[in-house]
Amino acid sequence: MENKMSNQEIKPIDTEKIKEMLNRQKGKMKRYLSFCSHCSLCAESCFLYRAHNKDPQYMPSYKIIQSLGKLYKKRGEVDRRFLIEIKGIVWRNCVLCGRCYCPIGIHVPSMIAFTRSICRSQDVYPQPDEVSSESWL
Amino acid sequence: MDFATPPRDGKRVLKKTVVQYIIAGLASLKGTLWKTDPLMMIVTSVFHSCLILLPIFLLGHNILLDQSWGVSLWSLPEFFTDGLTIAVLICVAFFLMRRLFLARVRAITSFYDYFVLLIAAAPFLTGFLAYHQWFDYRIVMILHILAGELMLITIPFTKLGHMLFFFLYRFLIGSEYSFTRGSRTW
Repeated sequence: MENKMSNQEIKPIDTEKIKEMLNRQKGKMKRYLSFCSHCSLCAESCFLYRAHNKDPQYMPSYKIIQSLGKLYKKRGEVDRRFLIEIKGIVWRNCVLCGRCYCPIGIHVPSMIAFTRSICRSQDVYPQPDEVSSESWL
Repeated sequence: MDFATPPRDGKRVLKKTVVQYIIAGLASLKGTLWKTDPLMMIVTSVFHSCLILLPIFLLGHNILLDQSWGVSLWSLPEFFTDGLTIAVLICVAFFLMRRLFLARVRAITSFYDYFVLLIAAAPFLTGFLAYHQWFDYRIVMILHILAGELMLITIPFTKLGHMLFFFLYRFLIGSEYSFTRGSRTW
């Protein structure tokens, strides 16, 4: 247990790196987040949403707002606990299949992939034993 | 269905009839929101078309344009625009119900969404009241003008920016979701 946690728990978060990554894609990502109309029409296009009994947590817009949206709202001032929370959203709740369809044209997979890269930059990513023990799909 | 005959005397003749056009148009609905949420598709189409058509082709607005600049567009008859305004207000009520009662919409809804819906509905509501001269006409007219200006001003700062964004991303930029040919975005 301690070995598994050692990589992810001990190293402090480099908020400057997160801010730098957020700033690099700020224009595009903030535009996407701002113009999302919260219409939930992307829900039906997600296979995970349909497979999980139409649970709103699997809606593409929900995933984005709760992960990248919160990252921008906090302006990158986050702690490791927050990143571990959104680790579940961007890795477990999405497989980046690209089927999600937005009537406005917001490209959700690229936002999820971007959030993943931010988590990965801070050594937060799904561990191999996590994948086998949890029911991922 | 063979829609074009080979060139004959240097002219290509298109043999599509009206019925074939209609069938082809209905077939283009395949794979769209029509399958998953037909009511929402109809309501949102009616809402957005009227949203754009009404301010441009309203008789009252064109009279003001004519008085100010000496030019105006064609106007729709007033009973028709009255009906369209009622249609917009019904669509707004539908969106409000949807936001209140559908779980998946409620999950991502906040006060901001209700506020923006009010901003979008206010010009039409006050315009309707002004046209029928209910309540104090002067006050309702001033509210109508302010509501219209507020809606236009908040376009770049709120989700109403999808007004411009939609056309850029679905028509001009060849991304994965564009209506014309596009390629993968990432």
